[in-house]
Amino acid sequence: MKCEWVKQNILLYVYNELPDDARYELEQHLARCADCAAELKITRQFHAMLSELPVEEPSPNLVAASRMRLQEGLETAEQGRFWQRMIFDPAAWLRQIRFAPALAAAIFIVGFAGGIATSYKVLSGGTSIATVPVSTPAESSITGIQSITQNPGSNHISIKYDTVSTQEAQGSLNDQRIQQLLLFAARNNYNSGVRMDSVDLLTQEPNNSHVREALMYALRYDSNPGVRLKALDGLGAYVKSDPRVRDALLEDLLQDSNPGARTEALHLLEPVRADGSVRSVLQKLAESDQNQYIRSQARLMLAQLPEFD
Amino acid sequence: MTGQASGRIDDTLLVREAQRGNRAAFEDLVRHYDQAVLRLALHLTGTEHEAQDVYQEAFLKAYKSIGNFRFECSFYTWIYRIVTNLCLDHLRKRQVRKEDAPVATDASGEQYDVLDQVPDGRAGANPERDLMRRELGKRISHALEKLTPRERMVFELKHYHGLKLRTVGEVLHTTEETAKNTLFRATQKLRGALADMR
Repeated sequence: MKCEWVKQNILLYVYNELPDDARYELEQHLARCADCAAELKITRQFHAMLSELPVEEPSPNLVAASRMRLQEGLETAEQGRFWQRMIFDPAAWLRQIRFAPALAAAIFIVGFAGGIATSYKVLSGGTSIATVPVSTPAESSITGIQSITQNPGSNHISIKYDTVSTQEAQGSLNDQRIQQLLLFAARNNYNSGVRMDSVDLLTQEPNNSHVREALMYALRYDSNPGVRLKALDGLGAYVKSDPRVRDALLEDLLQDSNPGARTEALHLLEPVRADGSVRSVLQKLAESDQNQYIRSQARLMLAQLPEFD
Repeated sequence: MTGQASGRIDDTLLVREAQRGNRAAFEDLVRHYDQAVLRLALHLTGTEHEAQDVYQEAFLKAYKSIGNFRFECSFYTWIYRIVTNLCLDHLRKRQVRKEDAPVATDASGEQYDVLDQVPDGRAGANPERDLMRRELGKRISHALEKLTPRERMVFELKHYHGLKLRTVGEVLHTTEETAKNTLFRATQKLRGALADMR
């Protein structure tokens, strides 16, 4: 009986899945029984043989490319909202109501109060739409940005942009209207000089999340290396605190066609060279990058790292 | 253990934030698990392209349905459940395709194996040993492909990714006992298929 039991459990023993008491019992038996000890040896050898098919770590390139593709996918993906689940999953809704009478009562009261509040607002507040400033440029009506200038020594910026006819907007960099136009110019303008000016100004406000997004967009997609370099300047300070910035820089380092931009990205990544993904990219560059300077810099940065293990 | 516990607390906070629509929190969650997801998908599918498809589909699905996550299991189990379901679909489709076209050939009509394309970058690798390892790798791959998708998945999660059988059961929506029996079955089949290699 004992040998039969051991043979049934030997695999679990090898995989470290036996409870302590069973493990002890099995070990006691193995010490006495040559047949079962031989079976353990065979099972262990087989286990080791299967491990000859290695589990490869995904390459830094694959991780970066997958993350990038996912970010693009997330731009267009919508999360299911609570109200959607209420509408589209009536069975779950009914279950919740059945098992939670207090929640049902709360929903009823909130719904009732909401209904009253809404009708009150509709009846009394008909002028709220008129408070939106007429001068705010709607993005859809902008056909292009003509020019961007900043008065020397001040934070006063002047932007000329086309709608049906060219219009001009003036204000400080903190002005929401100005920021909206700069973001539009950074992403959409055909004139690289204008894109350069807008990205240059946006680098003064990288704390704003929209601005940071626009800078990462410029770094990834702008065809002009000068614009990409400006974007790198603005993003450099966030390489430690924002992992998305770090990814954008790594991607630029791997894929930018301009050696100057790649060198800049490499230097900006220096403070985070111990990070796992940065280290992997550095190893790849040190081994096989075509650019000799980047190869040697990557080696130097790796050499300055403390050894693991 | 403490690290694992604090990891879970982090996850809980991030999941709650992601459920409120915070995309950055969701992206942080992705970063906690995406290398493990890619490793699993890469080993199961065998190609970077297909692994990337599984990755993309899994995290988009997670993003869209994170509002339905009720903390009844860990986020880790939940994301693995999504990934393994996608990989199971993938394995099933591959089995159907194989029945249609059992032999893979290149442009010149020659049969080839993807493992042949993988160089052994390990220091000190010698060509003879390298050749033997490749041959063995090929045989193991073929033996694994003979398993049913579910056997393959249990074996993969246990042997190659070191998950506990209890977690394998949770991930595959089954009991630990069933996972154990499936592991036994898979191992028996593999021993049969690779008997001449011992």
